[in-house]
Amino acid sequence: MLLQVFMKLSLDWWSVILALAAIALVMAGAMPHIPW
Amino acid sequence: MNFLRKIPGILLLAVIGYAGKFTEQSISAYGKAHHTALPNIEYVLWAILFGLLIANTVRLPALFRPGVDTYEFWLKIGIVFLGVRFVVGDVVKLGGVSLLFVAIELAVSIALMTWLGKKFHLTPKLTSLLAIGSSICGVSAIIAAKGAIDAEDEDASYAMAAVLALGAFSLFVFPAIGHALGMNDKMFGMWAGLAVDNTAEATAAGALFSDTAGKFAVLAKTARNATIGFVVLGYAIYWAKQKQAKEIANKGAFLWEKFPKFVLGFLLVSLMATAGVFTKPQATDIANLSRWAFLLTFAGVGLRTDLREMKKQGLRPFVVGAVGELAIAGLTLGMMVAAGPLLGF
Repeated sequence: MLLQVFMKLSLDWWSVILALAAIALVMAGAMPHIPW
Repeated sequence: MNFLRKIPGILLLAVIGYAGKFTEQSISAYGKAHHTALPNIEYVLWAILFGLLIANTVRLPALFRPGVDTYEFWLKIGIVFLGVRFVVGDVVKLGGVSLLFVAIELAVSIALMTWLGKKFHLTPKLTSLLAIGSSICGVSAIIAAKGAIDAEDEDASYAMAAVLALGAFSLFVFPAIGHALGMNDKMFGMWAGLAVDNTAEATAAGALFSDTAGKFAVLAKTARNATIGFVVLGYAIYWAKQKQAKEIANKGAFLWEKFPKFVLGFLLVSLMATAGVFTKPQATDIANLSRWAFLLTFAGVGLRTDLREMKKQGLRPFVVGAVGELAIAGLTLGMMVAAGPLLGF
């Protein structure tokens, strides 16, 4: 059910989901320091 | 499986983007090592130039196209991350000011484009697409409007070619004008966000001026993007009344469907940053993620600008677009110079 909802999401929504997921990883300390 | 097809193109975006960054750093390091003052050419310009060179010489092989087409996806992700560099007060203040400017710009550019379209005998729907593309956000707005007003594929590709060609031109001209007029980062960023059509090009034009200008260009452009649903809905109702497009049954659902959702992500992250949810190192990491995402976008801007394709589309839509864009650029520049000091730019 949830998977079907996810599959129907637009790329616009996916950009938000992926960005927030990456931010969650940064906050959890699960992502290495990102230099520029 | 669909994702696997995108990998080669995404890797190419990363390689070209990184080559741009590497070139900037190498030139700077060479200058320092040899005590020579070399011009500081930003990685943004190198990434775009490398992309342009590939797209217009060897042409992009089909293998890379699906991945290269994701460049706008990285742009949206980068905008959500960029929220970390804004406090909500700035977003509300500058976003509100931008919306006021956007309203004036929309009214003038739609009226001007409609008049120019008639003068140059363009088809009415091509004129509508050019007006939408130049007043809001380029290609995305044209794609959104195409279905809503039942426009021909050919008209949409004319309008997109004109908007893309003018966007590429703006990349080089806007920063030069900004420097010539001695504009500050904030004023230039707001101007680029209000006047340059496509979000990717507006972001790149701002970043070419300075990192801070790039940040404000995104803010002003995001406010402009937020109006997309209203303008497309207005045109859809107009063409439905002419019996040349379908009626919109549920206007609220239509507005929500067309609303760019990454704007919500940007606002949420800005809200979290203002509430002190992130530590300083975390905020730095998120801001750097935004820069890496934009790096892929800038490579994509160069790679998808095929000057030969644009030449094929003919001159009239381009001339209409160019005259309109010039007027819009002048109008928004005037607004910025006049209102900038009052707003603390």
